[in-house]
Amino acid sequence: MAEKRRAGVAMSGSCERDGAFACESGVSALLGSSLLTLLESRPRDPVGFLAEHFAHLSAQDDDAGPEHQAVSRALWNLSLAHHSQRSAFNSNTRTAFDLLTRDRGAGVVGVRGRLYTEMLRCLCSEGGLSGSTAAPLLRRVQCHDHESVPFELFRQGVLTCSVFSDYIRASQCLYGSVASASDRPAERALGQAVLETLREALEAADGDDVGRYLEASAKISPGKVAKAMAEAHPGNQQDNPVMDAQEFEDAAASLFIARVRMVT
Amino acid sequence: MKMNTDRFSLTVDEYLAETNVLFYLNDAVTQLLEHKEEYTQFGVVRYFAEYFASVKNGNHVLFREFSYIKATPHNRESFIHIFWKCFRQIGKNGDLLAMSEYSSLLQLLCPDFPSEMVQNTARIVLIDDATDCLSFSDFIYSFQIQFYYEEFVESVSVIYQDLLSGKNPNTVIVPTSTSVEQLSSAANEEPDAQEGVDSSIFCECIEGLCERFKHKFPSIVAIKEILESSQRVSFYSFLLALAKHEGINQDISALPNKSDLLIDPEMDQELERL
Repeated sequence: MAEKRRAGVAMSGSCERDGAFACESGVSALLGSSLLTLLESRPRDPVGFLAEHFAHLSAQDDDAGPEHQAVSRALWNLSLAHHSQRSAFNSNTRTAFDLLTRDRGAGVVGVRGRLYTEMLRCLCSEGGLSGSTAAPLLRRVQCHDHESVPFELFRQGVLTCSVFSDYIRASQCLYGSVASASDRPAERALGQAVLETLREALEAADGDDVGRYLEASAKISPGKVAKAMAEAHPGNQQDNPVMDAQEFEDAAASLFIARVRMVT
Repeated sequence: MKMNTDRFSLTVDEYLAETNVLFYLNDAVTQLLEHKEEYTQFGVVRYFAEYFASVKNGNHVLFREFSYIKATPHNRESFIHIFWKCFRQIGKNGDLLAMSEYSSLLQLLCPDFPSEMVQNTARIVLIDDATDCLSFSDFIYSFQIQFYYEEFVESVSVIYQDLLSGKNPNTVIVPTSTSVEQLSSAANEEPDAQEGVDSSIFCECIEGLCERFKHKFPSIVAIKEILESSQRVSFYSFLLALAKHEGINQDISALPNKSDLLIDPEMDQELERL
């Protein structure tokens, strides 16, 4: 009986030691915060997420290129949730912002302009946009190197670039449907008719009324696009009769970019 | 281990349960506490990074105990994959190995791997008891079914025995391990066991099982495909058909197709140098 009691005490002793170790070494706090981060983002691959999360944390102590690391960690955080998952995306944007403002002195609020611009450039590139496609958008939203970017502007910039990447991808698919074959360019008349429909839909999205979303989506419905294509007729004889993918993409991009407010 | 977009509508517990995150966190902490001196020199954060990286890459099951290896579908799939990678060269010469030899190989990777599972695998493939030798290819695909779908195979065995003995096919008894042993040895004594059961009734019962089954099971489409191909089916011919089904193999994604099973270019290069 005495032996059992002693064993019992030894058992609870080792549990207490384990518990103390967990607290002192910071394991409990580490796991708590990691689980919270996981649950906020709800990534598709939780185990992969945790592997990268801990890898990033452990790399924090490295001396090489802290700024570059901050940008890549911020980018990684932003990749965890699509912008349509708005609350997770906003939360990740906040985390990214905090990462980029960490090293600034007390009293300085905001991300350095140079870092902000670099972030947006990387975001566009990771979203599959070429430098030339992204350049006009970046010219509108970027800040001077020395400026300090507050959170709300940071969030808008990040959201705009993320949405623009999706928009360009969708335009590429749209071009694919207009072109009759994958190895031949689309007819100019058809391409222009579709772009015109897209422009009308985007214009319908202006304004304060919430119903504008419904109106805009009605204007870009498959039926509307098909009707526009059916009614298209060849334009000026002197124009090139075909429109290639890049020209279509550039035209679609400029429709989007025209609606982005210039940052002053 | 990737989830679909519905993951945002799951509760916290459901989301964590989907990929057994808490199980891995628990195990990581347990391992850390058992080997404190070793891992704290390394750095606690780096330890967790390495642990989860190895889980993601499927190396985490190497030399672990059987209870860990069978604990999650990802662990089972990783173990089968590692077994294949380590021992595929054996299959190249067309050598047949005895079940005791396969058991030893498994125990090289997992010291307490039970030999009963190897015996169950043998029953799927071997028609007569005259020989207990199998090719690597025959062994590994049958082993995969037996191990990855262990609970499903047990439950289907009970359904099969019920049908053989004329019981109500819609009653499914969840077996204990002893009851399964008794039932399968009883089946071996009955001459009628060879004739099997009606495929369509068997199929209906399995579908009913899968509707409420909490463990992994092969796709219903594949099961139907197998059972629709003949009027009567025996338990082991059903399992053999599962083992040979390419779609099921791809769903588990631990092993390549049969035609690629023995391909190992790095080892071939090494052997050529010798």
